[in-house]
Amino acid sequence: MSSVPTKHLRQRALEGLNNSQMRAATRKVVDRLDNGKREASKQLEQWEEWRVQGAKIRQHVIENLDYYLNQLIENVKKSGGHVHLASKGQDAAGIIRDICLQHNAKLVVKSKSMVTEEIRLNKALEEAGIVVQETDLAEYIIALAGEPPSHIIVPSMHKNRYQIAELFSKVAGYQLETDTPTLTAFARKVLRNKYLEAQVGITGCNFAIAESGSITTVTNEGNARMCTTFPKVHIAVMGMERVLPTFEDFEVLLALLPRSATGQKITSYVSVFNGPRKKGEIDGAEEFHLVIVDNNRSKILADPQFRDALRCTRCGACFNVCPVYRQIGGHAYGSVYGGPIGSVITPLLEEDYNFWGELPFASTLCGACTMTCPVKIPLHDLLIKLRNKKVTKGFTSGAEKTVFKIWRRFYQGSGTYRFAMKSAYYLQKPLVRKGYIKFGPPPLSAWTNSRYFPAIAKKSFKEEWNKNH
Amino acid sequence: MITQQEFITNIALALGRKKPLTKGPPHKDLGPPAFWLEQNKYLDKKIELFKNNLEALTGRFALVKTPQDAREQLKNWLKELEAQEIICWDHPELKKTVQPEELGVTVHFWNKDIPREELIKICNQVKVGLTWADYGVAYTGTLVLFSQPHQGRAVSLLPDTHIAVLNSSQIVPTMSSVLQKIKSLAQMPSCINFITGPSRSADIEMDLSIGVHGPYKVWVIVVDR
Repeated sequence: MSSVPTKHLRQRALEGLNNSQMRAATRKVVDRLDNGKREASKQLEQWEEWRVQGAKIRQHVIENLDYYLNQLIENVKKSGGHVHLASKGQDAAGIIRDICLQHNAKLVVKSKSMVTEEIRLNKALEEAGIVVQETDLAEYIIALAGEPPSHIIVPSMHKNRYQIAELFSKVAGYQLETDTPTLTAFARKVLRNKYLEAQVGITGCNFAIAESGSITTVTNEGNARMCTTFPKVHIAVMGMERVLPTFEDFEVLLALLPRSATGQKITSYVSVFNGPRKKGEIDGAEEFHLVIVDNNRSKILADPQFRDALRCTRCGACFNVCPVYRQIGGHAYGSVYGGPIGSVITPLLEEDYNFWGELPFASTLCGACTMTCPVKIPLHDLLIKLRNKKVTKGFTSGAEKTVFKIWRRFYQGSGTYRFAMKSAYYLQKPLVRKGYIKFGPPPLSAWTNSRYFPAIAKKSFKEEWNKNH
Repeated sequence: MITQQEFITNIALALGRKKPLTKGPPHKDLGPPAFWLEQNKYLDKKIELFKNNLEALTGRFALVKTPQDAREQLKNWLKELEAQEIICWDHPELKKTVQPEELGVTVHFWNKDIPREELIKICNQVKVGLTWADYGVAYTGTLVLFSQPHQGRAVSLLPDTHIAVLNSSQIVPTMSSVLQKIKSLAQMPSCINFITGPSRSADIEMDLSIGVHGPYKVWVIVVDR
């Protein structure tokens, strides 16, 4: 991951809650994107049928990944591309750095790619003395600010136009106006020259098509096209699960992804690459490299409990409906992948159920993410399973363990349970205000610091029932 | 470094197999939903659908009956755009249809007669890039462009305006037809671009802006002979 946060999730969430600008921006972005998605999925006939197909296709790929990945590799080679395989993130970053060094690259242009964040590519390249130019408008903004992404689709959503104008003005050396056309035109001018100068272009890969060995990018700005048209070398980086068997399957995912991500029928640009440029062609990269990254994906695959998470197409729809993400914003997650899917895959990719294992607890388990997911990943189920994993691995605090030990003692027999509830009813009395405990003593304060605790009723449900029936 | 064999075997092991699958698993009931493949319902209104979708994305659309009309339309648009120089695919059908030398502007053709660096410089300076689309997709208002030696990628990417010409017979109802055609090609082009409207972004306060890196305008002339 790009960096491991030093603060605990609770602290990060609190900072998110206190950051009113982040909260307002988050609300605006997620509402806009989610409304767009709702509208777009109404317009496409039989959205649910498309979802079913999308889930089926992704599941089929995951269960036969050995076959399809091998087919993809062979077909990329046939069309003249080079394929590199990386078990770990650092291997992938090393491979890409070496390709750049072989070509004496001084400047690399990059279009948006989450997997390159995951493998900390920019750091590896910069350490080798290579200048990395992010070209997605949002990525360009946050790179200038030196800040991490706050949303998977709109990584710069936490920056307002005044802050962006300030960042751009520093590059320009004069004060820029803050209207969108001025800011966009400035970025266009700066970046246009970079595309024409760079020796290497790096892109992600939204989907790879096994039957033809094609790599596809799905973008709106056109920077992925720029990064692959002018530099001599094109390196595409993909997580190993992003394969589709056929072009027919590509049509389904292409119907689902843009609608789920931004509410568009299709993005402005969808490019399909089949190796390097062919003989006689004047533009396009002369050399094509595909870097396929495992980085613990095979471990997720090996655990049937979590395998479904590999269906993900990184559309971000689950972010936009998550009541927790809406409140705390993107930075509180502290991971490359935020939102519900990030809470699922981060502990798994990092194999860390202690520190990153906290993320699945930042959820109300309302299931909105599961309902919206275009490939039907049962996200809230996976969140519960991860909570369970954290507990069974023994990463719970001593206080919590003690509380549950005591609870177990009383819960075991009906007599002890009744006694405990009756006693608690009388003991709680000094704390109850209007049916709630608003400020409890430790360890109850861990709950009441962030929400009210409902007071224990005078009569149990059973007593009520017996009285009335 | 890990070998392909090791990498794939590792995945097979994760899936509970000792050896990787060597035969393709049955690819059944995948692809688009069954109802979608019956596309006749869009066939009779495909041109109208293409037009509406393109215009919804700020694109402009002209339907003409003859190559002469296509040329006139193009001339008008070039005048409106105040374009004195354009870059144009060296494409036989495009040349036959609009007869670039008759347009009254300086036309540079994308071919080997001009060095690569010079061609890219021209693309970066002229106002208009002219292409012949291989297909149009009605359901989304999408242009499909294949890369070929005389069909450069930069022509539809660097100039401020991209104008594409195609025959009405090349407009298909949905993506399904185009993908079938691509699949059936003996050799795939090195790059296939699906272009839907201008380059756009909403990264600054969700405020839509047009022409972030690529063209501000995408205009289309369809010849319905």
